[in-house]
Amino acid sequence: MLENRIRELLGRARDEARKAGMNVELSFHREQSSLIRLGNSSVALATHEALTRLDVSVQDGRKVGSFSLTADIVSADQLREAVHHAAENCRAALPKDYDPIFGTVEEAVDDSAGYDPALEALSAEAKTDLCADIIKKLKPRGRYDFSGSWSTGSTEMYYTTTANDSECYRRLTDGRFVMVLKEQDKKWELQVELSQKAAADIRAAEVIAAFDDLRPVYEQNEGFATTIGRQRVLFGPQAIAQLVGLAIWGGFIGRSWEEKRSWTAQNKFGDRILSEAVTIVDDPANPDVFSMPFDFMGKRRRRFAVVERGVFKGLLYDSASAARYGKKPTGHDLASGDFGLAPGDGPAGLEAGRKLAGDALYVPHLHYIHLPDPTKGMFTGSSRFNAMRVKNGEFVAPIFSTRVTDTSPSVFNNVVAMSSKTVTHNESATYGRRTPDAMSVPEWLLCDNIRITDVADSF
Amino acid sequence: MTIEQVATAVRGHFDRMRTAGCGFADARLYDEDASQRVVLYDGNLESNNRGLERGIGVRVLYEGAWGFAATADLDTIGACFDRALTNARAAARLPGFPKEMGPARPAKGEYRAPVVKDPFEVPLAEKLAFLTGIDERLKDDSVKQRIVHARFQRRRIHYWNTEGTDVSRFVNNTFATMMVMAPDKDGRTQRRSVELYSDGSGTRGWEWLTNPDWFSGHAERIKRELFEVVAAEPLPPGRRDLIILPGQGFLQVHETIGHPLELDRILGYELSFAGGSHVRPEMIGTLRYGSDKLNCRAGVTPNSPGTFGFDDEGTPQRDYYLIKQGILVNVLSSRTDLAEANAKAGSEVVSESGTAARACAFYRTPIDRMTNINIEPGEDGTLNDIVAATENGIIVDVPVSWSIGSNREHFHFGTEIAWEVKDGRRTRVFKNPTYQAHTLDFWRSLDKVGDKSTWLLQSVPNCGKGEPNQIMELGHGIPVMRFKDVQCGEAEAATKE
Repeated sequence: MLENRIRELLGRARDEARKAGMNVELSFHREQSSLIRLGNSSVALATHEALTRLDVSVQDGRKVGSFSLTADIVSADQLREAVHHAAENCRAALPKDYDPIFGTVEEAVDDSAGYDPALEALSAEAKTDLCADIIKKLKPRGRYDFSGSWSTGSTEMYYTTTANDSECYRRLTDGRFVMVLKEQDKKWELQVELSQKAAADIRAAEVIAAFDDLRPVYEQNEGFATTIGRQRVLFGPQAIAQLVGLAIWGGFIGRSWEEKRSWTAQNKFGDRILSEAVTIVDDPANPDVFSMPFDFMGKRRRRFAVVERGVFKGLLYDSASAARYGKKPTGHDLASGDFGLAPGDGPAGLEAGRKLAGDALYVPHLHYIHLPDPTKGMFTGSSRFNAMRVKNGEFVAPIFSTRVTDTSPSVFNNVVAMSSKTVTHNESATYGRRTPDAMSVPEWLLCDNIRITDVADSF
Repeated sequence: MTIEQVATAVRGHFDRMRTAGCGFADARLYDEDASQRVVLYDGNLESNNRGLERGIGVRVLYEGAWGFAATADLDTIGACFDRALTNARAAARLPGFPKEMGPARPAKGEYRAPVVKDPFEVPLAEKLAFLTGIDERLKDDSVKQRIVHARFQRRRIHYWNTEGTDVSRFVNNTFATMMVMAPDKDGRTQRRSVELYSDGSGTRGWEWLTNPDWFSGHAERIKRELFEVVAAEPLPPGRRDLIILPGQGFLQVHETIGHPLELDRILGYELSFAGGSHVRPEMIGTLRYGSDKLNCRAGVTPNSPGTFGFDDEGTPQRDYYLIKQGILVNVLSSRTDLAEANAKAGSEVVSESGTAARACAFYRTPIDRMTNINIEPGEDGTLNDIVAATENGIIVDVPVSWSIGSNREHFHFGTEIAWEVKDGRRTRVFKNPTYQAHTLDFWRSLDKVGDKSTWLLQSVPNCGKGEPNQIMELGHGIPVMRFKDVQCGEAEAATKE
């Protein structure tokens, strides 16, 4: 549970507000974040941030106001002042034309299962030494430069409201390791990306082996410029996570659907909208992901399917959208979920995937993906790291930067096969507050008729 | 703690860091980082938040390696320096080209953003009355969604370093957007929007937002144009001349000139996240980036979120050419990487800081960021003059989507609206416009640049970069520009460039 001093201050603020007849929600976030950034085979920067944040929301009928504070929380007066600022905002607010939902902790949560003190304490020195070990072993094998980043840290999240005395608390550790090997003359780039829940999860030997698996095709072959048009593509984990994320964002957000702005807008629950092979679920019980047990309206999060065997099953409603459109919130008042694309029945292993693909493009990463037309689920992005041509089931050449412009329904209706093995793709960004985020995806996804719209003459 | 107490403590720790072997150290105190965000969605106040951040970030340079630490607890400044030193020592275990600050240029002074009426002194009720007034004007039975959004920042930042620099910045920024949406006959949601903009002069306070020329006066126009887009046919694919208005041009410049000219990207320090650059250090001074018509500056524009007085290394902000008559002549830099760039180029290609070291918060370290990346006005007249000189083209405005190659070598943009130009006249509106090209080919095809009457300053409130990630504010002053023979529209199988 949260450190007593902070918990008592927050509890006192909640009780005082309740006594004053106020409806107040209190969210507390504390992080210890450390990152090393690699560039040109050196550690270009090592950082540490110790940050606490408090979010206060006050609701009075149809009026809502909020206040956020990033500062050390030291006194009851400081919390009173934060509540006061939120209340002032609420007082001057315009009433909504619907009844907003007030946050209520429906089930107390005290979850530190994902906390590894050793990962929280993992030093910049230890991280540097592990990276140095990898670089030392790989550098003599070619004209390589290494870059990357390794973010580790701990996050505490606490939520309570004046609706009752219950509290939600979660403490976890997470890490994301990314290393890029760049060939200095030919300019190609390979990447190894790993997700971390415990200090021991990143091993130099594993990273070196992953690079060694990739290097020969890049070293021994010239870049391949593919043709524009529709092609068979074997997607890898990061690209799959991007595609699933886009499908969710463009198709399964309740507000967008209600407002006819999603690619599912013409569909109703029960419709077959994607290939039967496709099941997309938000599941906090999935051990692959970071498993957020509650959301920031106090709702206990449980398995929630948006598509099951290709059939439209659900839409994600945060409390504001639910209130506005007369629906029930689905536990999605939070920055990220615990989503996953369920595995298929294809063979495990990338080698099996490429054999099955025959002739295809292997695109494990999609860079800078964006949505020219969310209503149609249209996206565009370009290949980046580790992309290769597959011919007769073998990787035969690296491919130049290739643009894919297609739609979510087209991709997920053209599924040929999916691996039966899932992997974790760490989706955490470090914008703003630390928010561990991962997606569980099959290790490969083979699709036909993927639209290639541009090809560069470089990697 | 008062500012003076913090300054005294910081100077004491500077001495300690020097004794510990650090060649340089600095500290940024955000005494106040206040924000306010108000969002009306279909008239409902969906976001009504104020925020306050306060804390300190410190950097130390030890044996050519950087360590950074930040804390919101000002009673632990000493521990924060210790943490930064520990980090720098760890970084020094895997050394690269040594980071160095170059010659010391201690600066003293302060910068105050030009503001007549501080938005934080304007009561929320008055703000809501103003924004609701705009929302009322956006209402129409055919408009299905309306968004009116305003965001305000006020920062008091104090900076000290071991060279004796002592500068303060008092920065206000104001951002606002209005948008209307409606479905077309194909069921696709179309949208039209405008962001608060300016001609680069004036002040940055409440008076800017409430000047109808720069924001509220466009409500009826975007509504009218939305109805035109909804009724329009999709843009047929094909190669055409492309006329870009400043509302789209700012992002074109941002993504395909600004980012590739950040020195940290050029040197490979952003490779694993944001990407690299098609520019290499030895190209500075010789690369033909665009046609002779292309003149691009890192500018000090009076009224822009990209104007800040001193960067986050305490260097007074400079105004300089990045591209002159199409030739790349400089890049966006801080003090840190100049020596490395010159060494890699084999000659001196950069001589002084581009004053582009910027951090978004006390808990983030300065990195090379855009300031005001402005295209100078040209001599090809008004928008009407450029249209009159165009046989077969489209005019595009305001981004819907943007996707750029990892080295910024190619791109794909979608925009809200396109107007067809045939034989020197605007004829009709197209919906779903997109275009794609390769960066250098594209800028080399620039053949018309509008005069000062076409030049507008667009704000960017949300440029993302860096690890740990940072969201930065900046500006782009952009004239109307025309590019020859660009692939436009979405063909099922577009012709290869």
